[in-house]
Amino acid sequence: MVKGSYRRIGEDELVRASIGGDKLAFDEIVTRYQGMVARTVKGMIGDSVFSEDIGQEVFIKLFYSLPEFRGEAKLSTYIQKIAVNLTLNEIKRRKRFFSMFSQKGNSEMHEFEVVDYDTEEKKDAAEIVGKALKSLDPKFRVIVMMRMLQGYSTKETAEILDLPLGTVLSRLSRAQEQLKDILKKL
Amino acid sequence: MNLSEIKELFIRSLDAKASTEDIPGKLEENGVYFNFKPGFSDKVLEIIFSTGVVVKREAEFVKNLNNAFYRIALTGVAAIIVLLISIFLMEGSLSFNSFLGLNDPAGEDIVCLLTGI
Repeated sequence: MVKGSYRRIGEDELVRASIGGDKLAFDEIVTRYQGMVARTVKGMIGDSVFSEDIGQEVFIKLFYSLPEFRGEAKLSTYIQKIAVNLTLNEIKRRKRFFSMFSQKGNSEMHEFEVVDYDTEEKKDAAEIVGKALKSLDPKFRVIVMMRMLQGYSTKETAEILDLPLGTVLSRLSRAQEQLKDILKKL
Repeated sequence: MNLSEIKELFIRSLDAKASTEDIPGKLEENGVYFNFKPGFSDKVLEIIFSTGVVVKREAEFVKNLNNAFYRIALTGVAAIIVLLISIFLMEGSLSFNSFLGLNDPAGEDIVCLLTGI
């Protein structure tokens, strides 16, 4: 088998092959889902060296927990859960770290990707999304990220975040209020 | 897509009844995309599978150590059996005194042993 030969193979088979130590099968999983993980991690903490590390950690954790994956949920949901949990842990860790050294206890490092945008308009769009996400409280930011950057329904969001649907709905409406204020200033 | 449309997308994404499936695609078209650096998957695989080599080497070392232990233990048991047979042949019994070489000692031998004369 060569790199890319698993492109048309289904998730179940990829998981089985990866559990058996097949490097190319796991490479295909990483290739398929790295975009999704990048949206989650970078959408939550911005683009920094830490986001690459967390992204790697997500797939390392996935690899070692694949034998426990029973296939009841989609593999993407399983990966998304790992990504969200690790990113939220990183945000908590930063909060603790900054609260030790700064009076602004909840300040976080949050930088957004510097990409060569082909038009000024696209640059503005990326900047506005980055700034708005950065200004949101993390518990609202995660919901905005799930809905806007991943396109999940409220039910899927609740399932991935292990939250009751009612909690997600109330956070959505509170996040919407917060976001309206933030967007007015941008 | 202008900025007010982007802002509208933001607000729409938080409308519980609205479908959000098309939003990530629209954002990407407008330059809002998130990716890891090139070579990301190679790095992940390198970390996972090079760790696997270390684990494999450790397992091999433990296996070799176990094999060596069994060989040493078997050699020891064989040596003990040979020793017991030789004691039995020389002393005629396997009593505690035979092991210590004190089976049926003569009085003169004990004097020589204690005084060295």
